[in-house]
Amino acid sequence: MSSLVRQRWTLATALLVPLLVLASPAPLQLAGVPPSWAVLWLLPWALVDGPLSGALAGLALALVLDGLHPGPLTQVPVLVVLGWWWGRLGRKAPPLERSFSLGLLALLGAALLGGSLWLQQLWWGEVNAAALHTLLAQTLLTGLLAPLVCSLQLLLWRQLAPGLRS
Amino acid sequence: MAMSGRRLRLPPLRLVRAAWPWLAVLLAFAAVRLSKGAFVLDAYALLSRPFWPGTAQSEWLRSAQQFDRQTRLQQLEADNRRLRGLLDLDRAGVSLVSAPVISRQAQGWWQQLVVGQGSLQGVAPGDAVLGPGGLLGRVASATPSTATVLLLTDPASRVGVWVGRVQHHGLLVGVGTPRPVLRFIEQDVGVRPGDVVTTSPASTLLPPNLTVGVVQSVNERAVPAPEAVVQLAAPVDAVDWVQVRVQRP
Repeated sequence: MSSLVRQRWTLATALLVPLLVLASPAPLQLAGVPPSWAVLWLLPWALVDGPLSGALAGLALALVLDGLHPGPLTQVPVLVVLGWWWGRLGRKAPPLERSFSLGLLALLGAALLGGSLWLQQLWWGEVNAAALHTLLAQTLLTGLLAPLVCSLQLLLWRQLAPGLRS
Repeated sequence: MAMSGRRLRLPPLRLVRAAWPWLAVLLAFAAVRLSKGAFVLDAYALLSRPFWPGTAQSEWLRSAQQFDRQTRLQQLEADNRRLRGLLDLDRAGVSLVSAPVISRQAQGWWQQLVVGQGSLQGVAPGDAVLGPGGLLGRVASATPSTATVLLLTDPASRVGVWVGRVQHHGLLVGVGTPRPVLRFIEQDVGVRPGDVVTTSPASTLLPPNLTVGVVQSVNERAVPAPEAVVQLAAPVDAVDWVQVRVQRP
């Protein structure tokens, strides 16, 4: 486990995710659909802090987010897998920091998360006629916001944990 | 001379001159009669216009009609409560708790509201949530100071409703879009666009006879039974305050 977790306040920034999910600011929506704030927070965290920390952060975040929503749908499996995967990617050289790479990873993450929620709805017998619309809007918006949001977070986390990759 | 006796005798010109004003008056009266008093009524309308009933009178009338309707509505509601009490449909007393909407997710993977009143105010899972216009959804979970409301549009939402015109029950199922789908059990229900959808008059889970929405379109070919798309009456996007129908202990 790494230096980011040791600085407690950095983990507290994860609280912004449920707050943004609840506030759901209208200017940051596409066709009424908000971005996946969990993906936008988890991606830079896992890239800097490694697979174990990423998976645990994904698990914690998913548990909090599941508590905010009614129904049986869960984000736990996908966020844990994404945290682990992005943590492993962050360990490889050269480091991922290009805007396009971050946007692409966030886009893939949002698509996987949306796809898993859609599959779960089908599994539970819920018909969601707007599933494709939601999936596309959320994926696109998350991918567009990632270069800005994740780059800033990545810069901040790497300044706080400079010796992590050595 | 014999011919002169048969000659048509015209009235003397002097007599005609003397009588023509009276003939004109008579013709005028005949015209009034034939026209059903058109000139007289028009003249009366013109002369009496300053004394016509103004907007004040119409407002009084509207106010009186509104008062009459409100009184009748109160009487009907009281009568309805009494009859429901006799039928033992009301389990206990209910009260309405006003709550502000503090989080709104009307689109996306979940359609829900979070309102700023919770279990401390008596809000419990299953309570009906009403907005201006009608039913919005039901409480899914409650914390001491907040409650999460599952909207009628959420794919997990299932609510039994009633179409009064055709006297049929149906199941209102959320499909993730702003317009949920009304599913029927019977084949030939005769529902058509414009029919008003309400909560069931015999419902004990939800407030009875509460407006839910209006049928927008009907798919008669749906299998196994017809389906209808319902436009909800309560505008979720514009609601800032809701009322939660809580059971009094």
